[in-house]
Amino acid sequence: MMQDTGYKIQDKDMHHASGIMHQRTITVAVAGNPNSGKSTLINAIAGTRLYVGNWPGVTVEKKSALFEYEGTNIKLVDLPGTYSLSPYTQEEIIARDYLVHEKPDAIINVVDATNLERNLYLTVQLLELGIPVVMALNIHDEAVSKGYKIDIKIMEDALGIKVIPTVATKKIGLNELLRAVTDTSGHHPKKLNYGSDIEAAASAVEKQIKNSYPQLLKKYPLRWLIFKLMEEDSHVMEEINVGDKSFIEEATKHLKKAHGNDVESIMADERYALASGLTHEVLKKPEFRKMEMTEKIDKIVLNRFLGIPIFLAAMWVVFKLTFDFSAPFADWIDAMTTGPFKRWAEAILGFIHAPEWTVSLATDGVIAGVGFVIVFVPVIFAMMFFITFLEGSGYMARAAFVMDRAMHAIGLHGKSFIPMLLGFGCNVPAVYATRVLENPRDKALTSLLIPLMSCGARLPVYVVFIGAFFTAYAGTVLWSLYVMGIALAVLMGIIFKRTLFKGESPMFIMELPPYRMPSFRSLMIHTWEKGKHFLIKAGTYILAVSILVWFLLNLPWGVENKKDSYLGKMGQVIAPVLEPVGFGNWEAASSLVSGLIAKEIVVGTMGEIYVQKKDEKKEQPALTDDLKEMGTSFASAVRDSASNVISTFGISSLSSEESAEEKEERSPLRDVIKSKFTPLSAYAFIAFVLLYMPCVVVAIAMRQEFGTWKWFGIAFAYQMALAWIVAFTIYQGGKLIGLG
Amino acid sequence: MNLAMLKPGERGKITSMGAIGSLKRRLMDMGVLVGEDIKVEKIAPLGDPIEVTIKNYNLSLRKKEAQGIEVEVIS
Repeated sequence: MMQDTGYKIQDKDMHHASGIMHQRTITVAVAGNPNSGKSTLINAIAGTRLYVGNWPGVTVEKKSALFEYEGTNIKLVDLPGTYSLSPYTQEEIIARDYLVHEKPDAIINVVDATNLERNLYLTVQLLELGIPVVMALNIHDEAVSKGYKIDIKIMEDALGIKVIPTVATKKIGLNELLRAVTDTSGHHPKKLNYGSDIEAAASAVEKQIKNSYPQLLKKYPLRWLIFKLMEEDSHVMEEINVGDKSFIEEATKHLKKAHGNDVESIMADERYALASGLTHEVLKKPEFRKMEMTEKIDKIVLNRFLGIPIFLAAMWVVFKLTFDFSAPFADWIDAMTTGPFKRWAEAILGFIHAPEWTVSLATDGVIAGVGFVIVFVPVIFAMMFFITFLEGSGYMARAAFVMDRAMHAIGLHGKSFIPMLLGFGCNVPAVYATRVLENPRDKALTSLLIPLMSCGARLPVYVVFIGAFFTAYAGTVLWSLYVMGIALAVLMGIIFKRTLFKGESPMFIMELPPYRMPSFRSLMIHTWEKGKHFLIKAGTYILAVSILVWFLLNLPWGVENKKDSYLGKMGQVIAPVLEPVGFGNWEAASSLVSGLIAKEIVVGTMGEIYVQKKDEKKEQPALTDDLKEMGTSFASAVRDSASNVISTFGISSLSSEESAEEKEERSPLRDVIKSKFTPLSAYAFIAFVLLYMPCVVVAIAMRQEFGTWKWFGIAFAYQMALAWIVAFTIYQGGKLIGLG
Repeated sequence: MNLAMLKPGERGKITSMGAIGSLKRRLMDMGVLVGEDIKVEKIAPLGDPIEVTIKNYNLSLRKKEAQGIEVEVIS
């Protein structure tokens, strides 16, 4: 699909740019270490032409772009950031499979000039593939300001590739880089000498391949294949299925004996020896090293006593900024879709004499559904912005370092803390934020626990019930719910660690990159891509579910009593199951079903079911008033957002206070609730709301992140069970000790 | 003497790697090789993981992983 759109753009460009019909198209893969500035470089080159998708079958992000440069069409494919091309991580397997099987015309190898040796280790491996390589010697400005002198000529000669100094954040060197990529003729990657004993073994293996397995030569780059066979690389061995491995053992026997090690380690040693030899040859460093900024910052940020308080303060600021920045905009969008847009739709449909049910479908189903999607956009944009900033600046790795011990205890990774924390605002951005975790296992476990973090949408339910029963100790009851969620997350984490994720404990070997200021452009592109992705993909699902729920509430046709609607009937079916937990009536059950959309809807449905609706004939505002209102309310949303961000002390996002309007609206509901629930069953009910199934948007977020419904299925099942057990314990236990 | 036993500020030379399989390869890919100088920079506030410098960059790893790396203290 991506290629289709790509090629269309190309056709258009071709006519405009040159009119030549037979333009050359080359495929260029971009490879490099994490933190080498690779994504900034890609963003700087391709910008908005980037297409962001996933690598097939996995959740790793794939970026690609197609554009024209000086008469050549360049298809750029960004490979996952890796330190090596070993077969042990998802990212490395993706990168090498692409390079070996798709055979790109050239590779741009992004190298961090301030960390030459470790970056060259990957370069050495890329050269084994025999594909022309162009090195982007990135972050060159920082290397210069550190007093590093890198001899580019020697490096080019030693590796047989073109080396271009670049500064991606300032767009320096990009033209030269693209020019070098379009013309790699005359540059052949050198066959580096791995030392006599390795080379002797290699030529023995080569002879065998040529004699016994000539068909492999067409499929694989020769030198790479030889090395992988010598290393007995599990992935390659499985793929090509060499029948008799004895020739490999024979060839490497002497090598292993001489070094007293396995071939994989010998090869890694040799590659590093090559990288480090080259580094010594080309790099001149100043004799005296001054203390670097990163070191100074880390002295404070990772300090034994200050580390955790600073981390918590930083997280608090991120949380506040994410939710307080976005809340006024979300409210504004909400007000617009329930106000003017709804009125206009009513007016238009009324004008063309559409039947009443279409009006209801359009306003309560479609417009409400669309509004529901858009309401999430500000928070997703804000979250992506801050997460990208944390990652790009280098603080994310420190956060993981500081928190790892605590998170590891419940089977998680240090980085899991951040998505979990965001979960208190809204579980949806929290699930998307799990992409900071590289390991699929960490991602899955974190996502399973996120719904136990009590999100903002559950608050209205608590507030109504606390207002009805627990006004005297509102704070304590509210606090108990948040603590209950956290305690159960710890418990479930330990249980999952020992059951579902038994045996696999991923390692924690993580670079602490130097602090750097991420480029604003890169931040914006990333944020925009993520927001767009959510709007299109998740939006469609949410809209569909919203319309479905409308039908559930309004079918069979002309249903008068909510009890007879499909939703009411579902409630009646479910009610007996809820009998032992204290609220076995169809009203409560139906409200809980509608909470599938979002937990705050539970309150709305209860209002509709319990409270007889008053006929609300309000004055219809004129169109011009609506437009004026939209403008002024948007302006005030901007103002609120700004003042929220400035006064981070305002606790709007976690506030349990209701506006006067809400109070008035909900007081009849409270009275009914008081007659239908006891304090004990009320507490069991809000505990149930805290714990039962994640909402549909979380479901879709999990589907998008994992490419399967599996993890949502597990979350749904265990949370339903957990909610029932906890509510049962509260209700029956309470009755036993004489409460309620 | 293994890496997990070094105090912040202490340096060592790696003498052997007890780790096997993917853990070993991963460490090697990150430049943790026999013969390499390694310095413990910090221990995380909660006591684990640790931060080391190797090959001129900063790396963090858990003590469990550090225990498999034998070192010889350099003064």
